[in-house]
Amino acid sequence: MRIKPVCLAGGMVLALAASLSAAGAEEITIVLPEQPANLEPCRSIRADIGRVINMNITETLTIIEPETAQVTPHLAESWEQVDDKTWRFKLREGVSFQDGAPFNAEAVVKSINRLMNPKLTCDSRSKFGDVTLTPKAVDEGTVEIVSDIPIPIMPTLMGTVQIVSPNMPFDQEVNKPVGTGPYELEAADNEHIVLVRRDDYWGEAPEVTKATYRWRSESAIRAAMVESGEADLTPAIAVQDATNPETDFAYLNSETTRMRIDAQIAPLDDIRVREALNLAIDWDGMGEALFGTDVLRASQMVVPGVLGHNPDIKPWPYDPERAKALIEEARADGVPVDTEITIIGRNGFFPNASESLEAMQALWQEIGLNVTIREMEAADWVRYLDKPFPEGRGPTLFQQQHDNNTGDAGFTVPVMYTSEGQYSTIADKDLDQVITKAMSSTGEEREKLFQEAFRVVHDEIIADVPMYHMIGYVRVGPRLDWTPDLKTNSEIRLAEIKFKQ
Amino acid sequence: MFGYVFKRSLQSLVAVAGLLVLVFFLSRLTGDPAYLYLPLDSTEAQRQAFNELHGFDDPLYIQFGRYLADLLHFDFGTALSRNRPAMEVALEAFPETLKLAAIAMTLSLVLAIVVGALAATKPGGIFDRLATTISLAGASAPDFWVAIVAILFFSVSLGLLPTSGTGTPLHWIMPIGVLMLRPFGLLTQVVRGSMMGVLTSPYIKTAQAKGVRRTKIVFVHALRNALLPVITVAGDLAASLINGAVVVETIFGWPGIGKLMIDAIVRRDFALVQATVLITAIAIFFLNIVIDLVYAALDPRIRHQTA
Repeated sequence: MRIKPVCLAGGMVLALAASLSAAGAEEITIVLPEQPANLEPCRSIRADIGRVINMNITETLTIIEPETAQVTPHLAESWEQVDDKTWRFKLREGVSFQDGAPFNAEAVVKSINRLMNPKLTCDSRSKFGDVTLTPKAVDEGTVEIVSDIPIPIMPTLMGTVQIVSPNMPFDQEVNKPVGTGPYELEAADNEHIVLVRRDDYWGEAPEVTKATYRWRSESAIRAAMVESGEADLTPAIAVQDATNPETDFAYLNSETTRMRIDAQIAPLDDIRVREALNLAIDWDGMGEALFGTDVLRASQMVVPGVLGHNPDIKPWPYDPERAKALIEEARADGVPVDTEITIIGRNGFFPNASESLEAMQALWQEIGLNVTIREMEAADWVRYLDKPFPEGRGPTLFQQQHDNNTGDAGFTVPVMYTSEGQYSTIADKDLDQVITKAMSSTGEEREKLFQEAFRVVHDEIIADVPMYHMIGYVRVGPRLDWTPDLKTNSEIRLAEIKFKQ
Repeated sequence: MFGYVFKRSLQSLVAVAGLLVLVFFLSRLTGDPAYLYLPLDSTEAQRQAFNELHGFDDPLYIQFGRYLADLLHFDFGTALSRNRPAMEVALEAFPETLKLAAIAMTLSLVLAIVVGALAATKPGGIFDRLATTISLAGASAPDFWVAIVAILFFSVSLGLLPTSGTGTPLHWIMPIGVLMLRPFGLLTQVVRGSMMGVLTSPYIKTAQAKGVRRTKIVFVHALRNALLPVITVAGDLAASLINGAVVVETIFGWPGIGKLMIDAIVRRDFALVQATVLITAIAIFFLNIVIDLVYAALDPRIRHQTA
């Protein structure tokens, strides 16, 4: 009789061992923070989808290198600008889709047209604004893309267009992506997604043969799964769960936070008040306490590495005495500094977002401003994000988190700082000119002009209170040799994952 | 009895219809779905095109008419966020919740009846104190905290159980354990209280005087009368479990309907919200009918009234 519990326990251990060793030597399990809503390639700039399919199942003509913002060839071997509105891409030969269809100019044309198809809700279309693209196959290996307005950064934009098999339904969104990538979709249900390596990939064969994706929304559980060996890798764990320096890595996740200043409304229309807002915050203390020791203080809304980032801009220091003096000076000149200023926040925006608002509110009150906080649901918050802003709102400080992982400041500066910009609260004719010029130039000139724009915004106009370049944490199991980078939030390239010897 | 069930079903049908109308309009009060479906940097023209494509730009009464017409064809719409028919997604998730709820509820009920009844036989005794402490702690402990601590202890420190997910029988242990805490705690208290009342009633004294065995008195004569309030509370608890064990589903990655419903609301996936609410509403109405029948089986007074 006494043997029974022992048998039972033994059985349990065996069953567990079997379940744990399900992942073979070259198979890995990745645990994500959420279930991908769907697997439609034309929506894959959404992180939940992109992390699974980008560069694993589907690939792009070009790649934007995260550290240098250089655009490098991938499915396209080279490209040239024919005229203002026309770009020509020369395609790689000997590439095929997972369903056997050949990769050629027709396939690229169809992919671009599918992305632009109004019958599909393609998130990735937003990168093109209201531009109309007319792609054309010149010959088997050459594609010409004509746009109705000049797009000097077409190669950069092509880094976001997933090329899909011509056999994918054109008028319907699907959950079975077929691309040219090194992995194909084997299974997808409510509990996991499985990708397996294909044998006829055009490039170098990756080490990982099979990847299983699972999802748990609780950060502590994801961390525990890697620790217990159930999973090999998890992106995006919370700072309080990143406790093991052996397995947990911090990385810039390409998000930058700021408080946008309503610079047209008194007292925020006074530049001294705007400077004081920047000087009043204990940036090091708040950053360390709320966002972790690795967080990077921001002076502008793009991370280092993005084309147009200006390394010479010095972030505002913490100087409450000077901030107080500036407010008093403004008060003496008749600026209504006692007017109630509203901080607009968004519920559950990012970890410790609310706490950061409370900290800033307290520090701004200390220098003599009258500040209240209003936290809203996403949909309400968006009304303040976009023009036209709500009427009669009074002076506001609007919390925003901005992600630019495309490597070009053109996705940040115009929308935030031109007079017409969708998120812009400033109107400066000279700055508009600089930005317009930057948008139509390329290379070094483009970089210089965007750097100039960031300098003016920070030093001369003080359009916002830049907060931090945000940090994400990943936990990587001991088997894997892999480090995260700027793109980890939006894609995890299985081909880059190696095994330790 | 048959007429009774028929009457209840008819009432339920009216209630479900009312609920569907309410959910349809309330979900649309939450705002424009285009803002959540499309990236923040989408243009106004893109948002308009999205709303036109999915008919969100039509007046509400037209949208509602279309919804009703589709319902008549058993078309519950497409879950936009998932690119799949909404009812298909909901029906996939619901059995997972149902299995979890059924097992957790049965176990808690059985355990609570045994523990509660034993505790009531000797109020103030050691077993009673122990049972009261444990059940109160169970009923009041925050389940998300217990779940995480359990995972850290059993999976990470001891390596005995898988952290989360489904698959082997071992995967069921922690979710069911955590899910049982509250129903077990509450039901034990209810059984104990109700039993203490019944055990002092005259017919029990008579049975004792006749020399009936103690266990027979407690588990046969007393328990049957003490169970009525227990069934009421258990019914409520079961309904809330079917509604989605959201916390347990979220933490343990259980692919159930509670988490699905929350995700649908957050993503403003109207069709999916409607489908999940419809499924759970129907399930809860069935559950209520079953509870009524159990009442009738236990209590002859109700049986005769309805007959």
